[in-house]
Amino acid sequence: MIPAQFEYQAPQTLDDAVGLLARHGQDAKVLAGGHSLIPAMKLRLAQPQLLVDIGRIKELSYIREVGDRILIGAMTTHYEIESSTALKQSCPLLPECAAHIGDVQVRNKGTIGGSLAHSDPAGDWPATILALRAELVVLGPGGERVINADDFFIDLLTTALEPAEILREVRINRPAGKFGQSYQKVRHPASGFAVVGVAVSLGLAADGSCEAAGIGITGVDSKAYRASQVESALLGHPLDQQTIAGAASHACEGIDANSDLYASADYRKHLARVYTGRAIQAAVSKS
Amino acid sequence: MKLEGTNQLHAPRESVYQALTDPQILARCIPGCERLERTADNAYAATIRAGVGAIKGIFNSSVRLENMRPPEHYRLVVEGKGPAGFLKGFGDFNLQAQGKETMVQYNGDIQVGGTIASVGQRMIQATAKMMAAQFFTALEAEAKSTDAPPKHGFFRTALRWFSGWLRRHL
Repeated sequence: MIPAQFEYQAPQTLDDAVGLLARHGQDAKVLAGGHSLIPAMKLRLAQPQLLVDIGRIKELSYIREVGDRILIGAMTTHYEIESSTALKQSCPLLPECAAHIGDVQVRNKGTIGGSLAHSDPAGDWPATILALRAELVVLGPGGERVINADDFFIDLLTTALEPAEILREVRINRPAGKFGQSYQKVRHPASGFAVVGVAVSLGLAADGSCEAAGIGITGVDSKAYRASQVESALLGHPLDQQTIAGAASHACEGIDANSDLYASADYRKHLARVYTGRAIQAAVSKS
Repeated sequence: MKLEGTNQLHAPRESVYQALTDPQILARCIPGCERLERTADNAYAATIRAGVGAIKGIFNSSVRLENMRPPEHYRLVVEGKGPAGFLKGFGDFNLQAQGKETMVQYNGDIQVGGTIASVGQRMIQATAKMMAAQFFTALEAEAKSTDAPPKHGFFRTALRWFSGWLRRHL
């Protein structure tokens, strides 16, 4: 329960933080909200030599709407997103997803950037970020680059972030016209993590047919994924019961599901199909 | 925990079997293997730094090869322990020739205990899958290089000859 010895630095600017990471490479680890890293360190499953605490960098915590885009700083806490009245209007999937994360303590300290950079296979944010086709802005020694959500999650706890890069901002196109969104989750009773979590963001044409679809699923595979076959089964069709049921049956196409003591691979796949159907239905009814 | 899978490797069966039983190649292919020393015939001591993302653990392990029937079958028996937990188990490897390629089919049973098992249970299977994929990717590269293909392919030789011919005749 006591972590191994480590150095601690709390830089005031993002450039200083990137500089520290560039000097220490693999030995350094970024500390955001600390709700995954600190428990792992206390169990000595993670033993970084240096913690770079980016919690003092004020420029990383914000929710802004600029033009047709929503910009969220990486150190914005789950609670700040959950309670944002602006987001409840412009992109309700974000506060809805935030409300499903862990418990009050986790939401008060944990951050969207920390969750994404950790890429827990059962984390809630990755599904939502995929459904919204977000862009992730990262800063490294060579400057800034933008990674599409589709290219960000590589494997279990592995992202496209280089060791000296820090996730700085999440950019989302504000949904326009008639749209509906929902996040539906089977919550693990002990940890609060998603056994299965499905995020849906739909754009509807004037006649009620589906003209845009984003569906992200977490908890099933080693990383969250976009259910593109479900999306294409919805596009251009009226969103009736039959279309939704047919589309949801593709939720795990080509996916090698995980199994653990709580849920076998087959059960997880079944849950994913059922909850994909429910999430689409809920998104339609909220549109 | 049961582990099974098949991997198609683009190398002939003999070189895949040789790679799968060669300690030096294994040391290069096992993800995080820092040391692999021979302790007896077909028995080795290994230090493996296994991990994903920020989560890492060191395991001191013993590895044994049993039931060897080259080039089609052997059993790998592993026991390891470290501060993060312990693991023990075996894997049966079956190699099938398919033309110039090899189908490696494996199934095994692994028990994981200690801290890693009690808090990381939901990620153990995904970790194993990820490490198996890394292992086979590295192994395929090794098996291909032991296959010793001709240094320059037909097309390169033909291209060289043709460009020389052009220079001489134009």
